[in-house]
Amino acid sequence: MPMFLFRELLGSIRAKSATFFLFGGLLLFLFLASIACFFMISPGSVARSTEGQPIEEIRVFLSPRLSSATIDQWFLDWRERDDIAALRFQFAQEFDDSASGGLFVVTPTDPEMAASLASEFRGVDGVIDVVEIPRELAIKTPSVSLIVRITLLIILVSTVSASLFCFRRGFHELLSSFSGEIRMLRLSGIAERVVILLVVALGVLMGLLAGLLLVAGLYLFHRLALSHVVAFSLFGGLLNGLRILSAGMTILALGTLLGGLSGLLGASLLHGRDFDPLP
Amino acid sequence: MIQVSELHFSTEDGVKVLEDIHLRVDQGELMVIVGPAASGKSLLLGLLGAQIGPQRGQILVHGRNVARLGPNKMLSLRRRIGIYPQGFVPLPRTVHDNVMFKLRALGNYREQAEEKVLYALETTGLIRQQGVDALELSSIDRVRLGITLAICHDPLLLLIDEPFEGLAEEEKAEVARLLCRMNTGHLTILVASRGSVPPGLEAFRRIRLVDGTVKGA
Repeated sequence: MPMFLFRELLGSIRAKSATFFLFGGLLLFLFLASIACFFMISPGSVARSTEGQPIEEIRVFLSPRLSSATIDQWFLDWRERDDIAALRFQFAQEFDDSASGGLFVVTPTDPEMAASLASEFRGVDGVIDVVEIPRELAIKTPSVSLIVRITLLIILVSTVSASLFCFRRGFHELLSSFSGEIRMLRLSGIAERVVILLVVALGVLMGLLAGLLLVAGLYLFHRLALSHVVAFSLFGGLLNGLRILSAGMTILALGTLLGGLSGLLGASLLHGRDFDPLP
Repeated sequence: MIQVSELHFSTEDGVKVLEDIHLRVDQGELMVIVGPAASGKSLLLGLLGAQIGPQRGQILVHGRNVARLGPNKMLSLRRRIGIYPQGFVPLPRTVHDNVMFKLRALGNYREQAEEKVLYALETTGLIRQQGVDALELSSIDRVRLGITLAICHDPLLLLIDEPFEGLAEEEKAEVARLLCRMNTGHLTILVASRGSVPPGLEAFRRIRLVDGTVKGA
């Protein structure tokens, strides 16, 4: 029975409802394609490297046995030095809970001279460790600009909203042309859930179709990218079969979900007076 | 067959539409409910047909209390009732396909449904018009089609709301004759009409509904 009714519902699709469904499907396709773009674009990453970088600061760990007077004196002496730009005292626990004592955080005036400064500190009696902290350098790999990302996000939001709007209008038109049948179904004792299920199933079908079309497109692009690696360098994900698979699964799931959601939106129209079996 | 007691029904605004209705209809009986417009006839039929949930009172149809039925039993009861709604409008397809749609929707296989369609159309005298577009039917044939749809699944109870609306006197008499012909065996028929009762139905029991109360039987 549900298959018969589903065929009847499909048979009630007229030019107007078909147009709305087509637009809705197209917009859903665009939405899913934007999602796929996120998967396929080579991920821009920011790597931090300290290798070969000049020393930014020197941490001089002091023995806990040193008296406070000695530490004070060292502080006053070192602060006067020309090769030290800045000096501050911190407790070792601030860096490591299990540590004890204190440390001087020394910023050398000239990073090039930091190594000799560090070795000098190592030779001081009462210094238990000296750690040289190089400057961190952020290395940016080529990535999509923020503007492109924001544009994609705007496309995502606008396409999904417009798609749901089109689907709802399509369902409105479809259910209007199927209202006589719905009244008859209700009058005959057909469960309301059957009618709702029909509408939701139609939404799911459309979402699934949009998803399947895109998955087929992705596969074609994947094949194309494998033979033209350089041309598709921005879409590095197209070369990765596993990523294609995960994108395909995500797109199908999203398509089905959004199709079902549009079906539910359509089913919400069934509460209208037009579908009441009795006047 | 049908037993109604202390039935009350009010609108959301608190306007009383039905008030203390007591009614008993035996199996196989044909009964006419007459009354002016907005007297509650259609509502009463809707309540008896389990299309509208009762608020106060008791409605027993086939020994089942409509108010206490769960959703599934309610649906199963609806399937044993045939309803001709007021101002019936057929589906925009042929007469045959109208009846076929209902039977297929109720789970009949094509061959089984085909057989039932022909039998129902034969009963109501519409067999020759089975290929005609239902929207092009004359008023009386539309009524016939509505009745065909109501009886095609072999119900135990037939509720017919305003079948004589917009018909000429001879057509009303013809519809009355059709109802009399169907009133054989187990089928119980309730007909609601705001106008005068056509000659063929005068012999049957009649109740008068005025302002939501039964004035006389």
